[in-house]
Amino acid sequence: MSIIRTIGLTKQFEDLVAVDHLDLNIEEGEIFGLLGPNGAGKTTTVLMLSTVIKPTEGTAFVGEQDIKKNPADVRRLIGICFQEPKILWVSTPWDVLNWHAKICGLSTEERKKRVRQVLEAVNMWDHRLKNVHGLSGGMRKRVEISKVLIQRPKIAFIDEPTAQIDVVGKHKIWNMIRELRDEGSTIILATNELHEADILSDRVAIMHNGKLLVCDTPKTLKDSIVGGDLVDVHLEKDVTQGTLEELKNFQEVVDVIAVHPTNLRVYLNKAEEVVPQIMKLFLKRHLPISSIHMSEPSLDDVFVHYTGLTIEEAEQKRPLR
Amino acid sequence: MKTLRKILLVVERDLRMFLQYKFLIILRAIWFVAQIAFFGLIASRMVVPDLADIYFEYYIAGVVIMMLYSASVFIGYDIFEEAEHGVFEYLLSLPVSRRELVFGRSIGGGIRSFIFVGPLIAVSLFVIGLANPLNFLIAFAALFLFAFGVSGMSITIAVGLKSSDRFDILMGALNAFIIRLSTTMYPQAFIQEASPAYAALTNFNPVTFASDLFRWGVGIERYLTLDPMPVAAIVGLVVFFSAFTFIGVTFYERRLEGGGWK
Repeated sequence: MSIIRTIGLTKQFEDLVAVDHLDLNIEEGEIFGLLGPNGAGKTTTVLMLSTVIKPTEGTAFVGEQDIKKNPADVRRLIGICFQEPKILWVSTPWDVLNWHAKICGLSTEERKKRVRQVLEAVNMWDHRLKNVHGLSGGMRKRVEISKVLIQRPKIAFIDEPTAQIDVVGKHKIWNMIRELRDEGSTIILATNELHEADILSDRVAIMHNGKLLVCDTPKTLKDSIVGGDLVDVHLEKDVTQGTLEELKNFQEVVDVIAVHPTNLRVYLNKAEEVVPQIMKLFLKRHLPISSIHMSEPSLDDVFVHYTGLTIEEAEQKRPLR
Repeated sequence: MKTLRKILLVVERDLRMFLQYKFLIILRAIWFVAQIAFFGLIASRMVVPDLADIYFEYYIAGVVIMMLYSASVFIGYDIFEEAEHGVFEYLLSLPVSRRELVFGRSIGGGIRSFIFVGPLIAVSLFVIGLANPLNFLIAFAALFLFAFGVSGMSITIAVGLKSSDRFDILMGALNAFIIRLSTTMYPQAFIQEASPAYAALTNFNPVTFASDLFRWGVGIERYLTLDPMPVAAIVGLVVFFSAFTFIGVTFYERRLEGGGWK
């Protein structure tokens, strides 16, 4: 069942169309990755869905409430972790989170329990009474994400959850996002870290220049790249022309390049299914294998496939607002 | 969650934020003491000797109202600081209606200006004395309306202008005019003598209403006017408060909804 449905959702800032007729369906209980480079329109989409800004055209239903007609009802369902921590520098993490929990309607007992639990989990308990201006960027981000983790909203918008956070912290936050989903929240994860989206999301939508390019599960998107899987085979003997031809006859194999007579690079689909057959072929031809290395396409490859640009190139070419 | 509880939480947040500005509060208090201890004493010696003591009291009351005005305006500057840090977006995403948010902030702005001015009022009462406690209580309640109204006005202008530079300039100009075109520093009778047009303008100024009421409340005004009770000032403050709290809230609720403030 769709918990969020956008219909031609559009936002224009003067000459720039930040989000261009976006049509999306987000299912209840999923982690939905909204991917794209900076300037793709992810944050603007999140701000429209959370009723902070109004769409220029189109609308969206969040938990069956129209964001244009019933914004107050929408806000009762949602929680946001903003890309940039939205905290005044004179505040302390404790004040920020305690007040946030209060305004979101948590009981005194529950509030104290959850604030402590989350601050400890993100390693901020010892820093809870420090002024925000004394905290590092990563610490501020941890305070920001703590808001949704404490609130546990029905729908959580999480914008760049691990920006400025160290590797250990990233894994902790990823686990907490999964736990939030397991407790019943639907999570919309806006990120330009494609690896993060890949490992967390049930489905992803890739945006570029305000437009939706494609939307599906990460696996389906990766599989949609013809010849996207790559297998490097190192042989103990030189490969024969006949074996090469036989290899090319596999239906899933798109191309074979002999980098060296003992080193083959095979572009193919569904590598996990075909590799055993390839190994059998070499053994049948008395070509012992010294090593074999398989790699799947990543969401970066998917992005390149659909835009013709790497995510870094797309960021450099983004229109200025 | 009930509307009242949400409004109170918004007020609580503003009060907590205000108490973080400890140095600012101390500096303003020093300014107040310096103003009455040096400027007030000297200025009162410049008027005719018979009225010197009365003018000194008049001046102290005027400075209290000026401080109350400037403290109530402060919430508008907070809004710009919040916009700069993106905190405004956060507040707009919370499960609080725009009306509750703005109403809460208006009340919060008013209360915190009272927290700030409270000790100064106590100092002025110590210097001036208190002739009629009931009058003072009526005046004190009316000053709350004044503080809420000024906070509401400051928020309305802040949200309407969307530029901190313009806000700075406008508030500076407004401060210069609204204080000077009032009876804060000069008694009405003397303004009337100097310029009837100027005096006419002061009659429609909320700062005049607040100043007159405070002086009436502490018992100074009896030396300067014949009014048994400044009804016009009370009505004026009720209108001012209503305009910027209820009508104003409705107006800028529309501006805030959906990011119209941006």
